[in-house]
Amino acid sequence: MSTVTGTGSTARGAGRRGARREPEAVRPQGRAARLLTGHGWLTFAFLYLPILVLVALSFNDNRFVGVWGGATLRWYRELGSEPAIFDALRNSLVVALVSTVLATALGTAAAISLDRFRWRGRRAFDGLLFLPVIVPDVTLAVMLLLLFVQVLDLLAAVLGVRATFGLGTITLSHVAFNVAFVAVVVRARLARLDPRLEEAAADLYAGPWRTFRHVTLPLIAPGVAGGALLALTLSLDDVVVTSFVAGPGSTTLPVYVFGLIRRGVTPLINAVSVLMLAGSMLLVVVSLALQGRRGGGAVRAAVPGRT
Amino acid sequence: MVDVAPAPAPAHRRGPRPPAPPGPEREAARAAARRGALIGLPPLVTMVLLFAVPLGIVAVYSVATRGRTGRTELADWNLDAYARLLEPLVLEIAGRSLGYAALTTLLCLAIGYPFAYWLTTRRPGVRAVLLVLVMLPFWSNFLVRTYAWRVLLGSDGPIVTALAAVGLGEVRLLFTPFAVVLGLVYGYLPFMVLPLYSSLERLDLRLVEAARDLGATGWEAFRRVTWPLSRPGVVAGSVLVFIPSFGAYVTPELLGGSRTTLVGSFVVRQFLSARDWPFGSALSMAILVVMLAATVAYFRAQERRS
Amino acid sequence: MHRGAPRLSATAGTVPAVSLRRVTKRFPETRLDDEVVAVDELDLDVTDGEFFALLGPSGCGKTTTLRMVAGFEFPTEGSVHIHGTEMGRRPPDRRPVNTVFQSYALFPHMTVAENVAFGLRMRDVARDEARRRVAEAIELVQLRGRDGAMPGDLSGGQQQRVALARALVNRPKVLLLDEPLGALDLRLREAMQVELKQLQALLGITFVHVTHDQEEALAMSDRLAVMDAGRLVQVGTPAEVYERPRTRFVAEFLGDANLLTAEAVDAERVRLPDGTVVRIASGRSAGAAVHLSLRPEQLDLVAAGTPVEPHLDAVEGTVARIGYFGSAIEYDVALDTGGPEVLVTARLGNARGVVARTVGERVRMRWTPDSVTVLED
Repeated sequence: MSTVTGTGSTARGAGRRGARREPEAVRPQGRAARLLTGHGWLTFAFLYLPILVLVALSFNDNRFVGVWGGATLRWYRELGSEPAIFDALRNSLVVALVSTVLATALGTAAAISLDRFRWRGRRAFDGLLFLPVIVPDVTLAVMLLLLFVQVLDLLAAVLGVRATFGLGTITLSHVAFNVAFVAVVVRARLARLDPRLEEAAADLYAGPWRTFRHVTLPLIAPGVAGGALLALTLSLDDVVVTSFVAGPGSTTLPVYVFGLIRRGVTPLINAVSVLMLAGSMLLVVVSLALQGRRGGGAVRAAVPGRT
Repeated sequence: MVDVAPAPAPAHRRGPRPPAPPGPEREAARAAARRGALIGLPPLVTMVLLFAVPLGIVAVYSVATRGRTGRTELADWNLDAYARLLEPLVLEIAGRSLGYAALTTLLCLAIGYPFAYWLTTRRPGVRAVLLVLVMLPFWSNFLVRTYAWRVLLGSDGPIVTALAAVGLGEVRLLFTPFAVVLGLVYGYLPFMVLPLYSSLERLDLRLVEAARDLGATGWEAFRRVTWPLSRPGVVAGSVLVFIPSFGAYVTPELLGGSRTTLVGSFVVRQFLSARDWPFGSALSMAILVVMLAATVAYFRAQERRS
Repeated sequence: MHRGAPRLSATAGTVPAVSLRRVTKRFPETRLDDEVVAVDELDLDVTDGEFFALLGPSGCGKTTTLRMVAGFEFPTEGSVHIHGTEMGRRPPDRRPVNTVFQSYALFPHMTVAENVAFGLRMRDVARDEARRRVAEAIELVQLRGRDGAMPGDLSGGQQQRVALARALVNRPKVLLLDEPLGALDLRLREAMQVELKQLQALLGITFVHVTHDQEEALAMSDRLAVMDAGRLVQVGTPAEVYERPRTRFVAEFLGDANLLTAEAVDAERVRLPDGTVVRIASGRSAGAAVHLSLRPEQLDLVAAGTPVEPHLDAVEGTVARIGYFGSAIEYDVALDTGGPEVLVTARLGNARGVVARTVGERVRMRWTPDSVTVLED
């Protein structure tokens, strides 16, 4: 028997949150459902067990990581006597903050000019902005290394300025890949913003700047915050690009830790790693808490999938 | 009868009128375009300087010559570096990278699809919590997450120790292809799950109901309705996993050995140890071409769907 | 009540509140590398203080026209004037008009009071005055006590009222309404029709109301303009346009109409498809094809053979279908053409004493000659 439903639902039009009903008869039943659930929890275990083991081992009072020797905070304490780690951390934070601020401002401007205006060169810019999303780290690292080699040579030859690889080149490099990511995130948010709202503001005597300030910006704020969060995370994650464009004394934390790991696993690295992990999770949790009322807009905004 | 003709001349009785004066549209559009370009200028300049120009420089280096000391001579332009891309070693590494990336993508899809589907069947409150749990790894430090496997799989790590304890002997896990693919899957699984989840969550269950109502079994309804409608998520997730897997550097460096070198590490080696910049540049250009090809294929797939 | 006869030009009487001069709007059609003409050489005057409706099917250019008055779009050709001032490329924020949007476009991040206050804030109205006017406007749309609510927490009808208050609080010279009732359910829509009309009479502001709902336009407006394919087809009071549709399009779009093709016998008479010769108000030269519109509710149905009084015209036919609507009954009557079937519909009020007919029954339809309208096409 067939049913004729009143709603003319289509794949595109339907599926708005309100129209949706919860678990139904059409969901897998019985054995299929149990298999799915089992798979689900196994996947969570896969995602989290390594992290949990790492956390546990960071408290292991034994030089050999595989053998449990009781709980201790000794590795965390020993971190205190490693000044290089703190230098690297400071470098990382400086680079991350500066590059995030720059990339967020530039990326937001890019998103607005691409989504809200029609201008000559817009398409070319759009294509250029798409490249960083598909260019792998190593390629980008090569590009920026060669760029800075040329630019620094040029500066020395023409202006006689002796600039070197360092925090400046690292920061610029992070801006290079982050502008595009911020733009993608902000644009997704802009695209869902009803242009009528901006028209309404203009209709109510707000000029372009005030329309942006009072209507557009507050409404795309979760996107901008999400873009910034993504930029911050990518900057704090980056190993490859940074190791290409870093100079003496400008090592960032991930690059420093990467170097340590290659020399071998030690309980000390476990401790640093757990702290780094805690740092990035704290960042997300704080963002979630700050936007709790709006359901973690920023954390969700920058996550891939809203295609 | 009342004259009801619209003022001043009804459209259908339009005689030879002079052309109407141009309206303000063009000027207004031009002003808007100027404003848009003005807003877009700072990021555009940034992207040109930090992206387009470097790309050009890489292209130039790729046809330059490596000097005897390893210093690149920006002279004697030639395509030698590109010819070397066809050497057996390079082809082997490229093939391995493609294979690992493809395998990683498939595994992520196989694990991620049922997982994402399962997430959408949870009650809304639970789902919100689970979703945060999926997002946390996405936001967590990638290097550290990879490092965790180096600890786990290491020769004195808990897995090998446990296997030895139950009498399975000395098993070598680290520095194997298995470890590399495992690390890649682990690292990029969230990139697959999140787009999949979002396309499955958007799916209108009434369509599945309609299919069942019209006589489809649960499996048929999945195959003919759910799967095709979730394809955008499948395609997006696959691209998001494939691209970084192909160019991966950190994962193979930490979990792989000399026999699992991927293009990422190979390129880095040209710059940091071999000091063969033209060859490294040519490799970078080649990687870029592969990525562009993958992306074009992705858009083709998207277009065919709509 | 409507204000005076349709205007012929801007110079007659006072300056029109809104006037469009040869306005054309073309949009690029990206796919075909072509252009779409949304509005085609439109000339229109809206009198100061009237309730003017722009009526037409979707895609006829009515909303584009409204958006050009508001300043969201600019004419490709021609000019828009508001109270005699040419608007040129003046942006929306510098025009003395306000808009009530179809989807209301309430700012979701602001309370009701903040939404209503927005326009005053942007014009730097003094705080005390702004507060007083916001309260007044909220009172006017009967939303007292909801000042602090967020738009998302309001019902559709309440959102609509906020949108109205947000526009009216600025005391615009012209209020533009873009299908403001479209998102409401039938009952609420009818209530709002009355309220809007009363509000307009109370405030004396010129309303330009875009709608595709003919009943809404007829019920609310002092004058209305029917648009089709970017052009103005007919402008007039609701009664004029409904009772004397100029074209087939207007006759069909406004209410139901029996459209008949007849042959002119002389200047005053035409021959219907069944051969009956009937009178018309003004005619064409003999032999020409004439298109007629007859409103179903102006037809009367009597038993076949009933004598025809001299001031009436009549045809005979057979009842082919009956539609029962409660308050009215519609009869589709097939004329005796001997050729292709010609159906004429009569709508009779379901009043006491009306004789019910049955399918297959022979009936006579009659009407007064002035209920026949000759169409131009």
